[in-house]
Amino acid sequence: MDKKGFEPKILAFCCNWCAYAGADLAGVSRMQYPPNIRIIRVMCSGRVEPELVVKALSLGTDGVLVLGCHIGDCHYISGNHRTVKRMAILERILGYLGIDPARVKLEWVSAAEGARFAQVVSDFTSKIKELGPIPLQELRP
Amino acid sequence: MLEYKNVLTTCPYCGAGCNFYLQVMNGKLIGVMPCKSHTVSQGKLCVKGWNAAEFVTSKDRLTKPLIKRGGNFAEASWDEALDTIAKKLKEHRDVDPDSIAVLSSAKCTNEENYLMMKFARVVLGTNSVDHCARLCHASTVVGLVQSFGSGAMTNSVRELEYADCILVIGSNTTEQHPLIARYILRATENGAKLIVIDPRAIPLTYFADYHLKQKPGTDVAVFNGFMNVILSDGLEDKEFIKERTEGFEELKEAVKEYTPERVEEITGIPRDKLIEAARTYAGAKRASLIYSMGITQHTTGVDNVSSSANLAMLTGNVGKESTGVNPLRGQNNVQGACDMGALPNVYSGYQSVADEKVRAKFGSAWNVELPQKPGLTVVEMMNEADKGNIKAMYIMGENPMISDPDTSHVRKGLENLEFLVVQDIFLTETAQLADVVLPATSYAEKEGTFTSTERLVQMVRKAIEPLGDSKADWEIICNLAKMMGSREFGYSSPAEIMDEIASLTPSYGGIVYDRLRSGGLHWPCPSREHTGTPYLHKEKFTRANGKGKFWGIEFKEPAELPDEEYPFTLTTGRIMFHFHTGTMTRKTELLNREVPTGYVEVAPKDAARLGLANGEFALVQTRRGQIKIKALVTERVPEGVIFIPFHFAECAANVLTNPALDPKAKIPEFKVCAAKLEKVKVS
Amino acid sequence: MSMIDNVQNLAREWLDSKEVDAIFGLKEQDGYIAPYLFTDVGELSCLVISNQYRLCYTCRPAKENILSLMLQTEPNAKIGVVVRGCEERALIELAKRGQVDLKRIKILGVACSKEDAEECRCEKPYPGNLVLGEKVEGVSGDENVNALLSKSLPERRAFWKHEFSKCIKCYGCRNVCPMCICKDCKMEQELYTETGWLPPGIPMFHFIRFYHISDRCIGCGECEKACPVDIPLLTIFKLLQKDVKDLFDYEAGMDVEQEEPLLTTLDETPMREEVMDVGV
Repeated sequence: MDKKGFEPKILAFCCNWCAYAGADLAGVSRMQYPPNIRIIRVMCSGRVEPELVVKALSLGTDGVLVLGCHIGDCHYISGNHRTVKRMAILERILGYLGIDPARVKLEWVSAAEGARFAQVVSDFTSKIKELGPIPLQELRP
Repeated sequence: MLEYKNVLTTCPYCGAGCNFYLQVMNGKLIGVMPCKSHTVSQGKLCVKGWNAAEFVTSKDRLTKPLIKRGGNFAEASWDEALDTIAKKLKEHRDVDPDSIAVLSSAKCTNEENYLMMKFARVVLGTNSVDHCARLCHASTVVGLVQSFGSGAMTNSVRELEYADCILVIGSNTTEQHPLIARYILRATENGAKLIVIDPRAIPLTYFADYHLKQKPGTDVAVFNGFMNVILSDGLEDKEFIKERTEGFEELKEAVKEYTPERVEEITGIPRDKLIEAARTYAGAKRASLIYSMGITQHTTGVDNVSSSANLAMLTGNVGKESTGVNPLRGQNNVQGACDMGALPNVYSGYQSVADEKVRAKFGSAWNVELPQKPGLTVVEMMNEADKGNIKAMYIMGENPMISDPDTSHVRKGLENLEFLVVQDIFLTETAQLADVVLPATSYAEKEGTFTSTERLVQMVRKAIEPLGDSKADWEIICNLAKMMGSREFGYSSPAEIMDEIASLTPSYGGIVYDRLRSGGLHWPCPSREHTGTPYLHKEKFTRANGKGKFWGIEFKEPAELPDEEYPFTLTTGRIMFHFHTGTMTRKTELLNREVPTGYVEVAPKDAARLGLANGEFALVQTRRGQIKIKALVTERVPEGVIFIPFHFAECAANVLTNPALDPKAKIPEFKVCAAKLEKVKVS
Repeated sequence: MSMIDNVQNLAREWLDSKEVDAIFGLKEQDGYIAPYLFTDVGELSCLVISNQYRLCYTCRPAKENILSLMLQTEPNAKIGVVVRGCEERALIELAKRGQVDLKRIKILGVACSKEDAEECRCEKPYPGNLVLGEKVEGVSGDENVNALLSKSLPERRAFWKHEFSKCIKCYGCRNVCPMCICKDCKMEQELYTETGWLPPGIPMFHFIRFYHISDRCIGCGECEKACPVDIPLLTIFKLLQKDVKDLFDYEAGMDVEQEEPLLTTLDETPMREEVMDVGV
C-alpha cells in the first residue's frame, strides 16, 4: 500500500451543541488543522448510529470521528452515554471483521475547546495517514 | 382454543425441491419455517422460499369463476362456468378434436398434470397438450434421451458436494437454484475445482477457478474444443468409452477440427484458458457437469445438450456418484409435468404415443380409443391459433403472454381463438384474454406431489382451506370431465390418482402416498420394495442397447446474429428475487422492494458510446418489437451483449425474443437475438 | 422412566388440571419434527424433545413472535411451553421488550443432553427454571472463535470477504432469530444496503445484525444453522456476548429485570473503567 503522499478522507460527525461549536471556535480563532476532514453536523452524538459509520467506511472514507459533548454536558442529558457504549461495540465488531478499529474514534469536544478540536483532528489525521487508505478492494467481491 | 400447527410441504418456486413448513394458526397462514431434516434444504431456504406464504393470501387471488360478457368479466357460479366450457369444448371437439389445444402446468402437481393430459387425450381426443418445459428443457429431454436414454438429471443434488470438479455452463445456479448452489460452494470449500462457462459474470464466478466467457450461442464449439484438448492429450477414459458407449469414431472425427485456436475464433475464449479448464475437468476423479437454460434455449439446444453428454461420457463421468450431466429444471414441478406426459408425443413415463402397444395399454386402462396423431408443441400451438387452425385452448397455470417468445405474436394467436379458458390463481396477462377464467388453488391449499429436478417425488400438503370459491386444479379437471360426459375421472383424492399413475408408469411404479409421507423417492422406483435411484446409468445406460451414444456435432450459428442495424446480442434470464412471469413474486412485498421493475444490463463501454448513464431509460428494439427499460450499467455483461430479466410485464423481454425453434425439440432461442439500443430522449 | 415420558406426563398433568390451556412443544409426525400447540391430551404421545427447533421465533410475514401471536389471539389463555436453556433466555429478552407476557406462560424447563449441547456449541444448555432432566456442563471455548482471533486484520478481512461473498440475501439469519423482532428492518433499507444486488453490501448487511443483536444474543446459533451458504455467524456473536459481559457486566437472557446496556445510561449500567477513558 503506497502511503506516500496519501491524503486521507476523514469524516467527522459533530454534535450541534458542543463539538460543532468547538469546530466553529477553532475556525474563528484561525487555528490550523489538516484539511482532510469533512464535517457532518448532527443534533447529538447519540444520533450517530454505528451503521452510518460503517456506511462511511464502506463508501471509501478512510477514518471516521464521532465528536460529542463531555459526559455530563449532553444537551439531551444522556445521549452521549449511549454513544460511548455503542462505539465500544462498534470498534470490537470492526476488529473482528478485520477493519482496524483505530479508523473510528470517539472524542468529547466542548464548545469552548477550539484548540482541542484542532488537536483531535490533527492527531486523528496523522493516525489515519499512518494506517493508509481503507482497504476497500479487500472487502468487495 | 387456539390451533397452531406446522404443515410440511414442498416449495412452489424452483426445481431444487426444498421443503418447508407452512405455519398455520386458526386456519390462517402466518409464516414459513425451514425444515431441518429435509435432504436438500437442511433447514435453509432462499429469499423466495422464505416468502412463499405471502402471495397465497394476496388480495388479487381469484376466488370466483369469471365469464367474459361484452368485453368485461362477470362473476359466475361453478356450474355456469363449467357448463359454458363443456358446451364450447364439445362443439369444437365434435368438429375436429385437433382444433383444441391444452397447456398444462409445471406449477401444478403430478396428479394434476396427469389428469390434464388424460383429459386432453380421453375427453378432448387430441394429443395437443404441452407445457412450459417446451420453453426450458425440451432440448434436454430430446438430447439426453438420444445420448443416454433418459432425459433427466443423472445424479442427485447432494452428491455435488463430493465432486472434485464442477463445470457449470449456462446456469446462474446461485440465483436460479440457490440451494443447489449451496452444494457447489461446499464442494469448492472441500477443494473441488469450479469451472464456470457463461458470457456474463454471475455470483458463482467469484468462486470459480476458471471463468470462460463464450460468445452467446457458441456452446457446441466450447464443448468440442474441450473434447479436442482431451483427445489430443489422451485424457479420455478409454475403458469407459469401449465398454459403455458407441459412436466414438464419429465424435473423434467431428471434434478434430475444433482446435483451441479455432475455438478461440468462434467463442472468444482464450485458447490457454480453454486448455487448462479442459485438462482440469478431464483430470478430476469425479466431475459433475451442471447446465440449465443457457444450454437449452437455443436453436441448437439439442446439439448443446448432446455435446455436454459427449463430454461427460468421454471422460467417464456418468453412472458414478458425484458425476453426471445435470440439467437443473427451472420450475418446482417441470420434471413431474414431463414425467406425467403433459407433452404432445408421450404419455406418463415417456411412453410414446406412436407406440401401438403403449397406446393400447393406456386405451384399455382408460376405456377409450386414443388419438394417434402427434400433437402440437407450445410455439406451434400459437402459430396454428394465429392461422385459425387451433380454435379453442384450455390453459392451466401458465402465462404464455409473458413466458413465450415474441409476445405480440402470442397475443395475436390467443386473440384469434374462438374460445379460451384459463385456470389460474391470479388474473394473469393471459387470463385477461380468456372467455372463461377458473379460480384454482395455490400449493398451500391442496394435496399432491411435485418431482424436483433430481427426480425426487415429494409431498405437497394442504395447509389451509381454499380461498373463496377456488378449487384445486385436479378437482376442476374432474368436474369438467364429468360435465363433458366422461366416467374416467371419478377420483376422490390425489392419492387415488397417484395409484393410477403408478399402475401405468413403470418409473413411478413403487410410488404411493404412504411411502412419501416420511420422505421423497427418486424415480425410477419401479416397485413398492424399491428404494429409489439417486443416480442413473450405473451399470448400463437407459438406451435400448444399454450403451451411451456419442454424437458428432458441428457448431452452428444462432438463428439471428448481430448486424449493422441490430448490433447487440440480447440474452434473457431470471434473477434471484423474482420468478418467471412474476405472478407470485411480484405480489410479495420484500421481493418487490428488492427489484421493483426490469432493467437492461449494458457494459460500461457500450453505455459510454451511447451516452447512456446508469438508471436512464433505454429503448431496446429487435425485429419483433421494442420496449422502454431502465439501463443498468455493469461489468457483469461483456461488451456487445445486453441482458434483460424476463419477469416484468411492463418491460417484457419476450416482446423482443426470437421465436426461431430448435428443429428437434421445438424450443425457442430465448438466449440469443440481435437488438439495437438507444437512449430515450427525455421529453 | 425416560426423560420424554416425564415431560409428557407433566404436560398431561398441566393440561388435565387446567393449569394451562395448551402446551407448546415439538411434535413428531412421519419422522419429521416441528413446533405444535397441543390442546388435546391424547396427542401428547407425539410430544418430543429435540434440538432441531427453537420454540421461540418470529413468524414471517406476520413479523410477530409466535408466542406473542398466540397470546394476542387467545387473550385469556395460559400456555405451557417446553423450553430449553436458549429458549428460556429468548423469552426473558422478549419479555424485557414487551413482546411476551411471562405471567401467561408456564415454563416446563428441560435440560439438554451433552450431545445436543456440543452440536449447538452451547455454553449453558439448561434453563434457570429447570423442571426436568439433569444439567450437563456447557461447552467452553470455541474453535471458530479461537481461529478468528488468531488471524491478523488482513487475514480476517480475507476470511470475511470470502464468507460474505457467498451470501445470497435470503434474510434467513434474521428470519430465524428469536431476537430480530423489528417490523421495519434496517437490513431491508436501501439507505444501508443496495437492494436487488448479490452479494449484499460487505460488511454492512451482516454488520447490521451483529450490532443490533450484540447485547441481546442468547447464543442459540439458529442464524448460522439457517444459512444456506454456511457463513459462521455464531463466531461473531460468541465474541460479542463475551464483550458485552466484559464491558457492561451484562448477560442476555438471565434476568428479566436487568435492562439491556445499550439502552441505558452510564449511571444505570456503567461501562468498565478502562473503556471509559475516551476523550477525558
